[in-house]
Amino acid sequence: MKILVPIKRVADPDNANKVKVSGDGTQVTSEGLEWKMNPFDEWSLEAALRLTEDGAKKTRTGEVVLVTIGPKDAAQTVRTGLSMGAERGILVEANDQELDSNMVAQILKAIVDKEKPDLVVMGKQTVDGDSNVAGTVLAELLGWPLANYAMSLATDDDGKTLTVKRELDTGVSTIKVTGPAVITTSDRILKPESVKNGVTPADFKYPEAEGGRYASLKGIMAAKKKPIDEVTAASLGATPQKTLSYLKFELPAARSGQTTFVESVEELVQKLKSDAKVL
Amino acid sequence: MNFTETEEQTLLRQEVRNIAKPFGREYYLAKARAGEPLDELWNAVGSAGYLGVNIPESHGGGGLGISELAMVSEELAAAGCPLLLLLVSPAICGTILARFGTPTQQDTWLPGLATGETKLVFAITEPDAGSNSHRISTVARRDGDDWLLRGTKYYISGADEADAILVVAATPGDDGRPGLSLFLVDADAAGLTRTPIPMELVAAERQYTLFFDDVRVPAERLVGKPGHGLQQVFVGLNPERILGAAMGNGIARYALSAGARYAGERAVFGAPIGTHQGIAHPLAQAKIEVELARLMTSKAAWLFDQGLDAAEAANMAKYAAAEAALAAVDAAIQTHGGNGMSEEYGIAALWGVARTLRIAPVSREMILNFIAQHSLKLPKSY
Repeated sequence: MKILVPIKRVADPDNANKVKVSGDGTQVTSEGLEWKMNPFDEWSLEAALRLTEDGAKKTRTGEVVLVTIGPKDAAQTVRTGLSMGAERGILVEANDQELDSNMVAQILKAIVDKEKPDLVVMGKQTVDGDSNVAGTVLAELLGWPLANYAMSLATDDDGKTLTVKRELDTGVSTIKVTGPAVITTSDRILKPESVKNGVTPADFKYPEAEGGRYASLKGIMAAKKKPIDEVTAASLGATPQKTLSYLKFELPAARSGQTTFVESVEELVQKLKSDAKVL
Repeated sequence: MNFTETEEQTLLRQEVRNIAKPFGREYYLAKARAGEPLDELWNAVGSAGYLGVNIPESHGGGGLGISELAMVSEELAAAGCPLLLLLVSPAICGTILARFGTPTQQDTWLPGLATGETKLVFAITEPDAGSNSHRISTVARRDGDDWLLRGTKYYISGADEADAILVVAATPGDDGRPGLSLFLVDADAAGLTRTPIPMELVAAERQYTLFFDDVRVPAERLVGKPGHGLQQVFVGLNPERILGAAMGNGIARYALSAGARYAGERAVFGAPIGTHQGIAHPLAQAKIEVELARLMTSKAAWLFDQGLDAAEAANMAKYAAAEAALAAVDAAIQTHGGNGMSEEYGIAALWGVARTLRIAPVSREMILNFIAQHSLKLPKSY
């Protein structure tokens, strides 16, 4: 099974330097930021790795190809994914500021046309743009079925058909999908028994985790030798058109930091009505 | 000259940080206060290969150097979890065994050190022989093919967690003259008793006095050449100093990050206290000092990994890191006001470990002696 996993780097919330908005409010600035893989993408990568390995024997049985769209130094995020176990990477050089979700989907379509993966598994959204659009548009452009918000994936025929549980506000929807398909994931995909591939023993449980697997030292050393192809949208034959224009950015108002202690639930309700005016 | 770390080193730091993050300061404090070892964290870091980065690849390690092991030490401490046994198990014992162990000893011990499943601790200090290792009175004497060890060691870190102890003892050398030799002694060997030393220190690793009462050690547990133990020990001591420096740098980073965050959030008289130079400058000064210490630590590790003489740089790095860590912890405590001394914030608990780094693994005074004698060519003072 060959899986394409699109990943994006986002500002690391643990870093003291935060996202800022330019003086004229036209763009978000990235000076001094440190980066990490978009958590939703990390979960998808974990799901893709589970689909393409024997989890008990820790051997690879398929191929995971990473793709990121961004500046040259976004290669570091791809290298992180290669250290976790993906086979190779593709960096589509682009300026973050000049992209929108439609362009991302169009570039990804060009990559899919070239790579011909069995599945695209991607984060449902990024934690910076929060658009939740690219996966859906990609499926539409490809004419592929879409299974979004996947909380569990099961296949026993190398990804040709998948049973997908989708996490919705109203409950869990279970569907059967015939590949090739686009899948977006929710955080429940990290649960110990959420991914079944017919190779990893059915009773095998992955460890409880809040994110994707950690890269081991051996993984980091192996990643050094894995290729990252650098391409451009033009070299892929894609001419993505921007359809969204951002009018203005502003940061949320700073929190007051004031804390009021109350003695009882009654007092809390009263203050939420009279002081905070939220009830 | 290039001060940029390699992509692998950046990833190594990132992954160690990621592994340590879910544990964090709260985990460390809970374990330390309960007097329990940090098994969960140790195993998590070890199973991913980061405890054995300096162990040869041929024995399951990472095949990298003390530079990378120092990064592991610094990142763990910067996450609020200084792992003291990194200094001892992979740094001293791993280095000495990889350099001087027999093939059988290397096959037996190095794979476990590489994954962290085996812990070795190091016993050199004695009640009457602290910094003066020439006065070591623990004696190993021949008894048939075996050796019998007799004597007392103290301030031995983590002796309760160890599988075996690398012990420095006096022996007759191969030329018949007295010398020192190294022995790997099982932690549960008959005749060896361990007594904990109560410490005023919030640390997960405990300190022990070890009594050797004719402990029988088979001949194949002698490490290296008999009588050449001191030269062998010195090969392991520079990595220990470098790892100690890295741990101090990590503690300083943790303290400064907590201090800066608090100074930016805590508002008195209508503005964050970090706007006042009385608060900001001590933090800034400590930041400069820790970055200087980190530079010297990197240099010392680089020299060691190149096979060059790292003694001066390792001593200077350990000195600078201990001073920087203390300055950083003190500034962070002052910034936090009363909260700085609270259990909840866990800042004051950093002070004990930072203060210990001014004493161990080599004291500030012995470093100054070394620098005076070897760097400045002054007469030997002791």
